Amino acid sequence: MKTNFIKTVGKIALILVPAITLSMNASAHDPKMHAKKAEKADCSKMDHSKMDMKDPVAVAMMKKCMKQSKSSMEKMDHSKMKEMDHSKMKGMDHSKMKGMDHSKMEKKEN
Amino acid sequence: MKALKILLILLLLGGASAATVMYSGIVNVAADEPHSDIVYWLLEETREASIKKSAQHIKVPDLESPELLLMGGADYEYMCSSCHLKPGLEESDMSIGLYPQPPNLSISHETHQHGTDEELARKNFWVIKHGIKASGMPAWGKTHSDERIWAMVAFIKRLPTLTPEQYQVLTAID
Repeated sequence: MKTNFIKTVGKIALILVPAITLSMNASAHDPKMHAKKAEKADCSKMDHSKMDMKDPVAVAMMKKCMKQSKSSMEKMDHSKMKEMDHSKMKGMDHSKMKGMDHSKMEKKEN
Repeated sequence: MKALKILLILLLLGGASAATVMYSGIVNVAADEPHSDIVYWLLEETREASIKKSAQHIKVPDLESPELLLMGGADYEYMCSSCHLKPGLEESDMSIGLYPQPPNLSISHETHQHGTDEELARKNFWVIKHGIKASGMPAWGKTHSDERIWAMVAFIKRLPTLTPEQYQVLTAID
């Protein structure tokens, strides 16, 4: 009698435990939704050709991306860039570098 | 004298009835049980009339500045989007669970609002600043300046026209 009771309880538990666990997972929200992370603006998808610069939204987006770009440039350590060895930079196509002001470039003295 | 007695008895009866309803616990305050249509209508009309009256003399500034969109965008993302949603997010735990359900501000105003742009701006400013009792809408004016609240109003005005990509750029941190 007691063995039968234990078997029945065992069977019920076998069905109920996975069922409850699965149903709880199904109704629960994704915990990631609560973790609000501060995101940087994703300016890579901006299509400048389609932007109407009279539209405040377009102007605001440009401002945001320019500010972000300026901020990331400022964070770069330019002092270390003087030691760059340009002779080792193979494959650079100088013909495509139009608009560069060579007079402002620091000459490397050997 | 007789009329006064009747009035007093009616008042006592009314008070006793109200107390019985209050303390018996028969009023269901669960947020997952909606009001009856008539109660919902009464509350909604009362709310709309109150906001309209309170906001009628508010002067609306120019809301077309890009700077306002940037200021308001960041605040909207962190203070409002979890309830009032954003482009690409059609529902959230808060938008589903709150009652009354917060309006989805990422869809066009024409589908759920009436009035001119200026009336809508006044109403939004007042609601953001003062909040709404027993609705889950906080009074942001206690912790935010009028300038920041107007920036949110400016952002909300443009919100239904934004794509998810535009929204991401405008609301991201610097």
